[in-house]
Formats: sequence, structure tokens, C-alpha cells
Amino acid sequence: MAIDMNVFRGFAEQIKMLPQMARPTDCPDNERVNHLKAVFSTKIDASNATQLESCVHCGLCAEACQFYIQTEDPELTPIHKLDLLKRYYRREKAPLRWLHRLIEPDITEADLEATQHLVYESCTECGRCGLVCPMGIDIAAMVHVTREGLAHAGLIPAGLRAVEQEQGSRGTVFGVGPDQLRQAAEELRAKGHEVPIDKAKADVLVLTSTIDVLLFKDALEATVKVMNHLGLDWTIHSCAFEGANFGLLSGYSEVQKSASERITSQAIALGAKMVIVPECGHAYPALRWAGANAHGAPLPFEVMALSEFLGREVMAGRLQLNPIGTGKHVTYHDPCKIGRHGGVFDEPRAVLEALGVDMREMPSNRTANFCCGGGAGLFVMEKAEPMRNAAFDLKRQQVEATGADSVVTACGSCRINLMAGAGRTQWTTPIESLVELVGANLK
Amino acid sequence: MSFTAFVDGPFWYFSATVFLIGVLWRLVGMLSMGSKPDFSTPRKSGTAAAIGINLTRFFPRADFWSRIRLQVVAGYLFHLGLFALLFFAAPHIEFYREYITGFGWTALPEWAFILVSEIAFLGLMLLILHRMLNPVTRAISDRGDYIGSLLIFLVMLTGCLALARSHEVLRVTHFFLAELLLIYFPFSALMHTFTFPFSRGFMGAHYGRRGVNV
Repeated sequence: MAIDMNVFRGFAEQIKMLPQMARPTDCPDNERVNHLKAVFSTKIDASNATQLESCVHCGLCAEACQFYIQTEDPELTPIHKLDLLKRYYRREKAPLRWLHRLIEPDITEADLEATQHLVYESCTECGRCGLVCPMGIDIAAMVHVTREGLAHAGLIPAGLRAVEQEQGSRGTVFGVGPDQLRQAAEELRAKGHEVPIDKAKADVLVLTSTIDVLLFKDALEATVKVMNHLGLDWTIHSCAFEGANFGLLSGYSEVQKSASERITSQAIALGAKMVIVPECGHAYPALRWAGANAHGAPLPFEVMALSEFLGREVMAGRLQLNPIGTGKHVTYHDPCKIGRHGGVFDEPRAVLEALGVDMREMPSNRTANFCCGGGAGLFVMEKAEPMRNAAFDLKRQQVEATGADSVVTACGSCRINLMAGAGRTQWTTPIESLVELVGANLK
Repeated sequence: MSFTAFVDGPFWYFSATVFLIGVLWRLVGMLSMGSKPDFSTPRKSGTAAAIGINLTRFFPRADFWSRIRLQVVAGYLFHLGLFALLFFAAPHIEFYREYITGFGWTALPEWAFILVSEIAFLGLMLLILHRMLNPVTRAISDRGDYIGSLLIFLVMLTGCLALARSHEVLRVTHFFLAELLLIYFPFSALMHTFTFPFSRGFMGAHYGRRGVNV
């Protein structure tokens, strides 16, 4: 399961070029604050209100944040990242807004620019801070609301904006569209795999991602092998194969909705009973939890993360695996968006158990797992590199504390960030894909 | 009208009214903002999780304990001590019986009162010192945090001094400061006393629907 490191380096170079590819935003400078306020106005609800009103500034959230733990910079305190939203709430929505308007200054464009770094390049929306807050403040959710406000104010960081613009205008990500998908399918067919593309009807719509098409081709191949091994009536659709949703990551809700609806409408047209999301962390909540709200109604099909699907099949006895051997010690990195934000914990561990490996949990695992540092689009933000590195160093400590021979995960972005960190620090511990392990050990 | 009569009479009714109306105003204002429907198919019950988190969140996760134990211990010392003082100090029970409930209940013995006072003071002092000295809390605290802390400190201090009830001026001072605190309460972060069950509940429901026990 070797990864072509030349492709990996090329991918990293492509990411560095993204800021130059971003088009200027269409939001005039003098309209930014109004655009932000318009978004905040629609997003503030009873949940945000009670949570913003409950903060006692205890600072515990900092003690859960990987970026604060690694840097000890008070600026990175998670609740501080909500100052902009909180000020809007106090002046415009709070029951005591008449009082706050007397004592708190209005939001300025400079405030927006000062917040951009905090909510984009210094937060992966991993949600770990919410676990420690005694008031139960879901800071990650409100960081996302702030991102949405800034996105509509034209302040998405350039690298992330370039990909969001591409997905919004052309429907492709990193230039990967139907042609590149078909080419990848041809390569798999040449290896003897049946790859159904664009079937008119199918029970299962399988999504993939640009990362798998370009870089982690073995993950795509393993996915194809599993689907065929299980004898499912499945297809990949060239008009709706991309699981990644850069509208969600950037906070640009129109692109989020269109990307999500492209999949939903195709799944409905296929008569699909299930949509399987690839090893791409945020793609899961983008469809599983936000997809129905983008659609405006419950989805008429089941949405499963690939790791969730594999685990379910293993637990049901439909998917049997050859044991790798107890001599292999592995630890599992829970992708935040699939684990803490998605509830998928037991299934990947069931797969690893079926593979017969010696599973060793990290000191902080499952719900309390530390993010890889590349989530929420940080892996395409150039200025986020110090934060990504800081998070990787912490994750490396966590992995090494287990004594595991390798770290397994079920998210391409996590793999990229871990691989980048490993390359930077000459860390030799293999970073493996769950589906690749399954694909290589089908019984 | 003497200052004592003013504090015991009109100002008490005024402060209690501001407190009640202010708290209700803010709570109703927040909750009436409503929530958008969530069309995603839940993995588990959000309602059960909302209730569950309100209980479990009293106990910090072991994952964080080594980094947060000072704040947690200080917080518990202060809040439990304050709760005991508020509801089980003999003079307070007498006050509630006379002004609010019409009935009383068993009070703490004087030695226990002194003990919980010291516990509450210790907790409050630790929290104030932590707020002032820790780089994170120092950076994120605002004037309101210090005003609230100072008012509570003064109310507790004068309350302890007034315990013997031998000096009427101390009792009146304590009551006056408590009334100021009541007036300040609905305009401050002290409102967390009433908002935290909702805040926790919303978060618990959000994650609970996803099958995550936060």
C-alpha cells in the first residue's frame, strides 16, 4: 500500500499555489460588516443565545485546545474566538441590547480582519473545547457561525477560497472532475476490478474524494474491492462523486448547499437506499447531519461514513477479514468530524479487532481525541502551517505513548496532515488507512 | 425614613423586583429566539442527552483533570459553600421565612456555618486570584467579572461579620450589599446561574442526536 510520494509532494506544492489561484472576492470593502451581520442575524437562535450568555470566562476551554496547549498563547483561547459573534449578539439580539449598545462599540472591518486568523487558521472546529466547558458551550459550532459570517464578508483565507470558488463554479476540487474520475476507474479496471460508473439505478451510491482520486488511490481501490466483495448493487456517479464540501469548510453556505444537494438529488434519482461517504472527515457531517437541512427535509436514504459501514458489516458478520496477526500493534486516530461530531467510534475499532491487531488506545481517545491539526480546511491554508505543526507534535506524542507500530485512521485529510508532519520531523511510524487494511485482507 | 428602614423596606422590594423581572426578561428573551428544525435522522434521543449532560457535566472528564483541577476544586468550594450559606444559614432561613416562604427549615449549626463560610471564601479567593494571575483568564475577563466577584466577596464578608447580629449596622450593610447584588445580577454573567441548564441542554441535544456523549 505504498503512496507515491512524488504525487504527495506535488499535491503539497499545489496546495501552496492555491492563494495565487483565488479570485478576488465580490464583496466590497464597505459592505463587509453588513454582510457579516446579515448572516449572524439568521444564525443566532436560542441555543447560541443561552450559550453566549452563560460564559463566565473561566478559561477552561483553553486547557482542552491543542493549539493553546502547544503554544500557551492566550489569544488562542477558544471562547476568545467568539468575541465578534458575542459582540454582535449583545448589540443586536440580546434582551439587554439597549444597554450593550451604550457600552460596547459597533463591529468594524478591522474587527473582522482580526477575527479571520482566529476562526480559520487557528481553529479546526474539532469541538474538544466543548467537552470541558462547565456551561456546555458549543464553541466549535459558533466558530463555524463566525466563519459563515466572514465568508459572506469576503474574508475566507485565499487558499481555502480558491478551492471553494472552484467547487462552487465548476463543481470540481483540485481540478478533479468526471474525466479524472473515469481515468481513475479505468486504472482500477485494468487491475481487474469492476467499477460501476453512472448506473441508472443502484442501491448504494458510493462517494469518493479528490484526495483518493489523486493521492490515496489505494483507498479508492480498497473501497471498490469491498463493495464488489459484498456483492452490493452499487455505483459511483460522475456527476456526484465528490464527498468533500469546501462550502462547509469555508463557511460559504451557498456552495455547501449546492455541493450537498448535488449528491442528494443524484442519490434520489438512483433510488439509492444508502450513500457511503469516503475516508474524508468533514464529508460525513456535511451530508449525514447538514445534508438534510440543506435539502429541507429528511433524506430518503441512509448516510454512512466508510469506517462506519465497514464496522457495521463486520459486526453483522457479512464482512470477514483475514487476521493480520497479533504481532501488529496499532493505534486508531478518530477523525474529529466522524468521531466527536459524528458518533462513529465502535465501528472502526470492530474492524481493527476483526483484523486481529493489538489495538492500543492513545491517552486521549474516542470523544476526547486530539485533532490531527489539519481539519476544517487548515490543510489548505498556508498561514495555518505553524498551527498544523503544533498539533502534529502533540498527536505524535499521543501516538508514541501507545508504543504502536502504526497509526490507522479513516480520513484522507488527517492522513495528509500526519504525513506532512511525519515528513517534517522524519517520523517513521506508518500512517495507514482503515479501508486499505480491509481491502488488503478480505477473506 | 432611616437608612435601615429604607434598606429593609422599599429598597428590598425594589431590588427583588429588578432581580425577578430582569432574570425573567433575559431568559424569555433568549429562549423565545427559538431554533430551526433539524431534519437529520437522529442516532439517539436528543432530549435524553440534554437531560443527561445536565447531570454529567457536574463531573469533569478524567481526560482534562490534570490541567483543570485547580479551577474545578476552587469552583466547587465556592459554589457549594455559597449554596450552603444561602439556604442553610440560620439568619437566611429566618429571612426567607419572614419575607418569602412563610416557613423555615433546619439550619446549619454555627460551627458548620463558619466552616462553610471559610470554604466558600477560600474558593472565591482562589477563583479571583486565578482570574487575575492566569494569562488566559486575565486576557478574557472583563469588568463585569471583577464587579461580580467583588460584590459577592463583599456580601460574604459583611455576612460573616454580621453573623453575631450584635451590630445592626453590619446586618444592614450586608443586606444593602446583597440588594445591590440582586440588582446587578440580571445585567451580568451571574445569570449563568439560570442559563447553564439550557446551555448544557442545547449542546447535549446537538451531540446526543449524533450518538455522542459529551
